[in-house]
Amino acid sequence: MSTQNTLTGLLERDWSYRETLVGGAVGIFVTIAVLGLLLPESLWADLFGIITERSTLSSALRLSVPIVFAALGGIFAEKVGVINIGLEGLLIVSAFVAILVPAILGPTETTLFIPNLWVGFAAGILASVLFSGLFAVVCIRYKADQIIAGLAVWLIALGLAPFAATVYYGGVNTENLGTSLPTWTIPVLSEIPLFGAFFSATPAVYAMLLAVPASWFVLNRTSFGNHVRASGENPRALDTVGVNVSRVRYASVLLSGFLTGIGGAALSLGLGQFIGNNQTMVNGKGFIAIVAYLFGNYNPIGAFGASFLFAGLEAVQIRLQQVPGYAIPDSLIQTIPYVTVIVVLALVGRTRIPEAAGEHYESGDD
Amino acid sequence: MDRRKFLKATGVAGIAGLAGCSGGPTESGSTATEESAESTSESTEAETTQESTASADSEVNVGMVYALGGLGDKSFNDAAKRGIERAESELNVSYNEGQPSAAEEFPTFQRRFAQSQNPDYDLVCCIGFAQKSALQETSKNFPDQKFMLVDEQIERDNVASYVFKEEQGSFLVGHLAGLLTNQQFEAGAGSTSGDSKKVGFVGGFEVPLIQKFQAGFTAGVEHADENIEVTSAFAGSFSDSAQGKEIATSMYEDGADIVYHAAGGTGLGVFQAAQEQGKFAIGVDSDQSQTDPNYADVILASMVKRVETAVYTSVENVAEDSYNGGELTTLGLEQDGVACVYGQELGSEIPEDVKSSVAESRQAIIDGDISVPTEPQ
Repeated sequence: MSTQNTLTGLLERDWSYRETLVGGAVGIFVTIAVLGLLLPESLWADLFGIITERSTLSSALRLSVPIVFAALGGIFAEKVGVINIGLEGLLIVSAFVAILVPAILGPTETTLFIPNLWVGFAAGILASVLFSGLFAVVCIRYKADQIIAGLAVWLIALGLAPFAATVYYGGVNTENLGTSLPTWTIPVLSEIPLFGAFFSATPAVYAMLLAVPASWFVLNRTSFGNHVRASGENPRALDTVGVNVSRVRYASVLLSGFLTGIGGAALSLGLGQFIGNNQTMVNGKGFIAIVAYLFGNYNPIGAFGASFLFAGLEAVQIRLQQVPGYAIPDSLIQTIPYVTVIVVLALVGRTRIPEAAGEHYESGDD
Repeated sequence: MDRRKFLKATGVAGIAGLAGCSGGPTESGSTATEESAESTSESTEAETTQESTASADSEVNVGMVYALGGLGDKSFNDAAKRGIERAESELNVSYNEGQPSAAEEFPTFQRRFAQSQNPDYDLVCCIGFAQKSALQETSKNFPDQKFMLVDEQIERDNVASYVFKEEQGSFLVGHLAGLLTNQQFEAGAGSTSGDSKKVGFVGGFEVPLIQKFQAGFTAGVEHADENIEVTSAFAGSFSDSAQGKEIATSMYEDGADIVYHAAGGTGLGVFQAAQEQGKFAIGVDSDQSQTDPNYADVILASMVKRVETAVYTSVENVAEDSYNGGELTTLGLEQDGVACVYGQELGSEIPEDVKSSVAESRQAIIDGDISVPTEPQ
């Protein structure tokens, strides 16, 4: 009974939270629009122009792909009770392998009638799944500290990918494949002003738009999703009804690797090249993803909203830098996405961590 | 029991992995590396990627500490490597190299080379402005060790500093871009419309060094035509090629015909965007139409910075006992330290009158008739 009440309560609070967020976003947009229309020739007008530009939207969609997939991966891991802060590492590994494999097989040829670009995509995902499998074994079977194991995943990937690139290519950056993910344009629909950007994009963007509702559905409407959530909230209860907690946890962490792998492979194959210097081309996107799913309170739709907000601000930011005539240093403009995300997180953030996240579960019948 | 064993193994592997990330140059006497190298092979492999050709019988031993991009960056570090390779083949020089992966590692690498007795390094080359603060400390602690520094200046008797006049080379590519955007031009995979007067600049970070590129480029474009608009943006990273691609795409979609980048790995995304949009780009540091042949059909030219000249000259000075410690050597257009090199594939298609005006402004800069700003106006 009480569980039922808590659940209803949660749902209700969730709604008001969402309303605040959506209301706030709409409010800001309207403010910019009003100021922009009232004061042409002002910063607001430029901003309004940038926001309503179609290329900004498609740019935001492309930029959000790796973040959204990593955030979905993070949700599945943390919901099941395994905090996966190694998302960044999974992105790096999958981004690198997705380039390496087609480079070895020949980028423009086919293997078993499948273009090697897609073989590379699959290989990138597989690499990420294998890595997350290792992480799962360390965390679930051997009960290692999840934070430390996650950090290890990141650090190993950060060292391993550039190192492997040095072995194969003689430098930390890979060669360019000469080919990259194509743009699929849906006729007619892509003609729509502004929102046509949704219908003329790379396959990765379409995959993202499908993966978000699919993840929500799996998490909230399937028995697997119920097991995942139960394993993160109250693993003993799950065990009591006869479900193997470890198995659910393995499955969900592997799924986390799978989703993150799509993001990483899409990132590097979108360019046909892996850049391995400094923080590699992933450049912190895995950590932004963690913020995004916390921001979205473990809800795939919310995480998508948060990632899209960040990516959208990033797309606006790079255009704002190009507007001549304002004495704002570009370095300051570059911080806009980060500052906004922190401010929003601090003001309206309300995140409820799964009860048993980070805790090991001893079933007692080993 | 087996859990304990496993934890131990992961611990060792983790430490070895960390050592692989943060390891110094290969040198005997580093017990920590040796120990972990025994337990796993990962770190040993990582450490031995550094080429070691240093030996006792060569006359001059040189230690190379590369900039963060690492070897294979197709520009800055690879250029430095060409310099030392040339010195190796022409001057009886041996060298060892270290590739730091984070700024905190610069002192470690510099110190290892400076301390080493076998071989005793005659010169330690520090590539990149980011090494300045580390080298200030190291050069003070090792007054007898000769150093050279590229892209920055340290006034100490055991440091020979080499800087480039990037603004001069950038002026030339800016002039080229300005002339071409004003006319209908089609070559390779790109074309200019002729009616939009717009070009772009993508920088890595908004720091004085990169602003020199920006200032020179802008001045060059204005020299061609005052009415051309130059938009610039900074990616905030030298490795985020996805960001570079988005920035350049937004510039091209906004009507820019030609985008010049000074952004390392981020700039590779600029070329990608140029190909997708059917526009042109200008490379930096090395002749990028040669180092990245897949993009040769959009690279009009590259602002080449001959880091190899700086490295070679400094090694040659040491070999000939004329080491110029404490001095600042400035390499500009006159010394051929920077140059506008036309693309391998597109160079021949650029109209002769454009090339000759670029050559004229080159001469004018050398003669001092044009002065190029080093900061954006």
